[in-house]
Amino acid sequence: MQVYLWLKALHIAAATTWISGLVVAGLAVVSRQACAGMQATQDRHYLDTIRRWDRCVTLPAMFLTWTLGIAMAMQAGWFSSPWLMIKLGIVGALSALHGALSGTSRRLDHGTDQFAAVLLYAAPATILGIVMIAILVVTKPF
Amino acid sequence: MTAPSSPAEELGQLRRMRLVSIIEGCTLLTLIFVAVPIKHLGGYAIATTIMGPVHGMAFLLYVWTLIETVSGADFPRPDVVRMVVAAFIPFGAFLNERALRRRQALLVSA
Repeated sequence: MQVYLWLKALHIAAATTWISGLVVAGLAVVSRQACAGMQATQDRHYLDTIRRWDRCVTLPAMFLTWTLGIAMAMQAGWFSSPWLMIKLGIVGALSALHGALSGTSRRLDHGTDQFAAVLLYAAPATILGIVMIAILVVTKPF
Repeated sequence: MTAPSSPAEELGQLRRMRLVSIIEGCTLLTLIFVAVPIKHLGGYAIATTIMGPVHGMAFLLYVWTLIETVSGADFPRPDVVRMVVAAFIPFGAFLNERALRRRQALLVSA
């Protein structure tokens, strides 16, 4: 039980770090689009800082979230539960969104203002995903 | 498709993607040809209990890096489709590694 509680605490801490980084990266893309065509040096510095944060903090937090989450699910024997499968699907989608945002930030950092318009909704989509995960995890409906 | 990131950075990204492809392929080989025989012939289930999640994480890293690579560069659509499909077939990572090596060589020679 003690091990499970440690895993849970660290999983929540890692997930919070990952999701906060994901929201900021999503907002950075929106901000860059708002500055499209302008000589936005400050905005470029802001994007560069976010990219470094993403590489050093958000990405490791994502892998820690996955590792600790899988360890927790194995220990609790949840892999046969439908709610966990749905949660894994949402986490997979958030991971893919993170990868797309990270690649797009690299592109934007080098002066390109064009990117997939769907990424403008990355921040609200992340919040929606995390709300769904919280409901699934707390209520475990099925 | 839009303009890619700088050539130097794209080269760095391709090197990372190739490394991750090799890691993913090697963990799969280890899982299938080492851990599974140890489990079924030697009776040590711990081998797959360890290697299964290790390969799972390597696969996750591979898919994530693939998405990041194609989102930040100017890949032709058929190449993107082929790489994504290869990511989900056994040993497809090795096929992608070869394709990425060719792209890297083209970038260096340009």
